[in-house]
Amino acid sequence: MLDTPAAGLDFATVADLAAAVASGRTSAVRVVEAALTRISARDTVLNSFTAVTERRALARAEALDDARAGNQPLGPLAGVPFAVKNLFDVAGLPTLAGSRINRDQPPAARDAALIERLEAAGAILVGTLNMGEYAYDFTGENAHDGASRNPHDIGRMTGGSSGGSGAAVGGGLVPFALGSDTNGSIRVPASLCGIFGLKPTYGRLSRARSFPFAASLDHVGPLARTARDLALAYDAMAGFDADDPVCADRAVDAVAPLLERGADGLRVAVAGGYFKCRSAEACQAIDRVASALGVNRDIEIPQAERARSAAFIITASEGASLHLHRLRKRARDFDPAVRDRLLAGAMTPASLVVKAHKFRRWYREQVLKLFTEVDAILAPATPCTAPSIGQKAFMHGDVELPVRANLGLYTQPISFIGLPVVAVSVPLKPLPIGVQIIAAPWREDVALRLAHALEMKGAVAAPRPAL
Amino acid sequence: MSQRDALDALVEANARALGLTLDPAWRASIAFNLHLILNHAARVDEFPLPDDAEPAAVFHA
Repeated sequence: MLDTPAAGLDFATVADLAAAVASGRTSAVRVVEAALTRISARDTVLNSFTAVTERRALARAEALDDARAGNQPLGPLAGVPFAVKNLFDVAGLPTLAGSRINRDQPPAARDAALIERLEAAGAILVGTLNMGEYAYDFTGENAHDGASRNPHDIGRMTGGSSGGSGAAVGGGLVPFALGSDTNGSIRVPASLCGIFGLKPTYGRLSRARSFPFAASLDHVGPLARTARDLALAYDAMAGFDADDPVCADRAVDAVAPLLERGADGLRVAVAGGYFKCRSAEACQAIDRVASALGVNRDIEIPQAERARSAAFIITASEGASLHLHRLRKRARDFDPAVRDRLLAGAMTPASLVVKAHKFRRWYREQVLKLFTEVDAILAPATPCTAPSIGQKAFMHGDVELPVRANLGLYTQPISFIGLPVVAVSVPLKPLPIGVQIIAAPWREDVALRLAHALEMKGAVAAPRPAL
Repeated sequence: MSQRDALDALVEANARALGLTLDPAWRASIAFNLHLILNHAARVDEFPLPDDAEPAAVFHA
């Protein structure tokens, strides 16, 4: 397939592309040109990119092809194009973080740490991606750049805040992308766009030279079309970085070589109580995944609803603290929906925020006890499939909830204590929906092994949209 | 004082204390969001924790 014309590279995986470039069956230039062609052709509809770094990408691809011709060693991601949410610094571009205000910032002097690591492994950056303003968003809508559009139905949301990442990978423009996840911003777009997302353990991947949101909750990670591709990107990025104060200085084992171990020996349960599905599609997705893994037990994550509330107010207050000076000077330049949430966050009493941080430690201790009984917990990723763009509310059981604040109601209690999660895509018709595979801290390997096993069983997959 | 009036007063007082200039057209939305946050905060606040409970903020000496 890979030595056919550029269209044959459509929806190729990270693993296939890197192998094809390394073997000489295709060239890095050809792979990058094909990605640029897809972006040019499809992004007028998907609106996922905010900048395309064509010249830089082609120069890197040429250098990589020269290296191969010179028999120099190539990295594990040789020639694989990728894009990043526009809160990652890219040398020469202002770091927008989805905002109008940051367009006035000088261009970044250096790439984000994860871009440097991916390019050191041979991957090639092709651009930056649309996102919800300052990452305070679950919709993928943006008042300045317009909404990113769901590849499976362009009238529907991508989910946010890594909406451009979801659209670009879901639409096959790039095989993987980077996003950030403070409360669900990788897992929600992965669910709505029908792809896979990895939110690693808090402190696992460096956030250096990315624009923050709520520092004690901010994570970064990859979105891709298979578990193996997530693992390959993760392996290239993992490792201590002194430039991120919370990046953990602990050993990293590559996870891609472990995937074939599958689900053998892993104890899995379905989260009950607060996480019980309340829509037909979320229930169908959980049932399919649990059945494929032979899971027949439920487990209660204690006080999950309260944990979600605590995450909500910590996010509001930390986000407001970050933006207070901008709210004083340039309030009119914010997306109104984001501005009013941040202003309210600035008014949250400190005593209540401190209580939330105390509750956070208590909750972490209770949840970690569960991992003596099980290795992984399954939960819905989103309460529903993709809402329509502009939709303000959805039904959660018999309760109507605002979309913007609540698409992440199943993801927030998990990222609140930094657990690693893989969101897998269940390709329901007409729209896909995701399931979270939640593991103990630092056990990304467990979640990725289960995700891979589910793919092998045909229970989960990233469906190709009809674009 | 109604709950709505109390929220409006809270928004007004906070804006003054924090040096924020608010367009009157924004106030209803800010009050709605503050009400949402305070409801979440009440759910956390009602949970009993011992006096020696430590916050989970990240700090390394």
